[in-house]
Amino acid sequence: MSGLMKLAVQNLFRHRTRSLLTMLGIGAAVAVLFSVLSFNRGFEAGLERELKGTGLHFMVVPSGCAHEVAALVLHGAVIPKFLEAGVIDDVNRAEGVSLATPILVAQMPNPQGGRIDLIYGVETAMLPDIKPDWEITGAYPAAANELLLGYNVALHNGITPGDGIRYPGVEGVFTVTGIVAQTGSQDDAFIYMDIREAQAILQHPGGATAVGVKLTDPVRMQEVIEGLESRVPGIQIVTMGQVMNSVSTVAASARSLSLAVALVALIIGTVGVMNAILMAVFERTQEIGMMRAIGASRWDIFRIILKETALLTMVGGIAGILIAAAGSTLIEGFVRRVMPYMPTGEMLRFEPLLAMGCVLFAMTIGLLAGFYPAWKASRINPIEAIKG
Amino acid sequence: MIRLQKVEKIYRRGAETVRALRGVDLEIHSGEFAAVTGPSGAGKTTLLHIVGCLDTPGRGEVLFDGVSVDGWTDKKLTRLRREKIGFVFQQFYLIPGLSVADNIALPLLFRKQKPDKDRIATLARMVGLENRTRHVPAALSGGEMQRTAIARALVNRPEIILADEPTGNLDSKNSEKIFDILKGLNRSGLTVLMITHNANLAARADRIIRIKDGMVEA
Repeated sequence: MSGLMKLAVQNLFRHRTRSLLTMLGIGAAVAVLFSVLSFNRGFEAGLERELKGTGLHFMVVPSGCAHEVAALVLHGAVIPKFLEAGVIDDVNRAEGVSLATPILVAQMPNPQGGRIDLIYGVETAMLPDIKPDWEITGAYPAAANELLLGYNVALHNGITPGDGIRYPGVEGVFTVTGIVAQTGSQDDAFIYMDIREAQAILQHPGGATAVGVKLTDPVRMQEVIEGLESRVPGIQIVTMGQVMNSVSTVAASARSLSLAVALVALIIGTVGVMNAILMAVFERTQEIGMMRAIGASRWDIFRIILKETALLTMVGGIAGILIAAAGSTLIEGFVRRVMPYMPTGEMLRFEPLLAMGCVLFAMTIGLLAGFYPAWKASRINPIEAIKG
Repeated sequence: MIRLQKVEKIYRRGAETVRALRGVDLEIHSGEFAAVTGPSGAGKTTLLHIVGCLDTPGRGEVLFDGVSVDGWTDKKLTRLRREKIGFVFQQFYLIPGLSVADNIALPLLFRKQKPDKDRIATLARMVGLENRTRHVPAALSGGEMQRTAIARALVNRPEIILADEPTGNLDSKNSEKIFDILKGLNRSGLTVLMITHNANLAARADRIIRIKDGMVEA
């Protein structure tokens, strides 16, 4: 450790409680800042992951609320609206559409299992195209009375391929042909069923909550969408990008608020640093005067004070990162309870570069706060100081 | 070595204008031990600060080794103090958290030099603190603190020691010790200028500079 640094460390140790409290102030601010930024990145990555997982370019849904649509696309929300029967044919006829599959999402009581199942009615033959990343234990359903189960449904109910499931008012037994390997997304919670069976059980022949569309050439997406919207009334088309924007907009206000809180906390912490260092300078006026007398230049004094500030903010910042890392589970649990939508997967992850960035940011602001006390100290008149 | 020519110093204390030094002509010769005496407020400390280039005169000139320091920048004066002058203060001004050795080495920091352990050990031995180098000031007696301050003043091998009432806070036994150390340093060739109220100690200096109302008495 260099001599001036040793001096700076010793000065901080001289008022341990004050130094500790100042560091904690900075630490708390950095913890909030790191958590917000880390959450932000985790949220966007999770959202993108979930959207990619749909394997579709856009969804055709009944006209309505954009947030409802987002919930449908991302979480398979049950929406009490259905597309007109002819919409699927219109979409299928549209130029540039390589795949159009009706989707019917519904809740179905399962007295046998004592639960309510989330049914995802779809052309089961198209599942490999819609969900190209899935890994299946067993096989995709090939017949109308066959089911594919999401990972969590199978796990929580102890269902394995070959087992049978009954639904009230439906003759016969559905046979589970396969289980989807864990995706970490909402896909794990569904029971995938042939759409015609789902329509029959729900007594909505030809009904669909959405039509998932895949294009031959995604570059022509805008052209296809405009064509469909002009020809087919009562529909709304949402691209995966729009869904992402829609969810991001909802989340952005919460994130902006959190970021503002973090920055305000950081400013308060920084003012605390300035106050603590300024107090230390005033208390050490005679000592600084003595140092000037025995040969310390103004720059030497300036550097000593600035090193103290850097140390305070650096240690405080590192402590903040450790606090954030240690409390990430708690923070994430809390945020999941209060946010209307959260992608699945881990949102708060320890990212070394982000952590380093937060500490450096705190140090930069701290150093700026240290400039005034350091300048003040460097201007101390040795004679006045020694006279006391 | 140091010559003051017609040095005047006036400063304001509230509404009052104080003429701290009035046309002081004084020469400090190399190798001498001079004691500065006089009543409180006579201008002793102001004289010491001007001799030590901590303060600048309002009028007159200060020559160090024949060179006028008039108009020198703060940077240049700081270097002069660092390299040629050692200060000893009545209140010691040791840094509380640093050990005796680190306090002694402090001026080297400002010279961008690494602490020379042998030099620090030699100085500590010279002032009788060879067994106290790891102690912090709070564990020292007043006399030991002042001896640490003397060692600190010597670490940069100055040409002159300026001591402002170095025995002012000490009992007679410790005062004797400090004086003996300063006297010993003077015998080895170092110039010493010491402010003191102690007439006995002043009497044992080579020369007594009496100051009254900002003027040096003949």
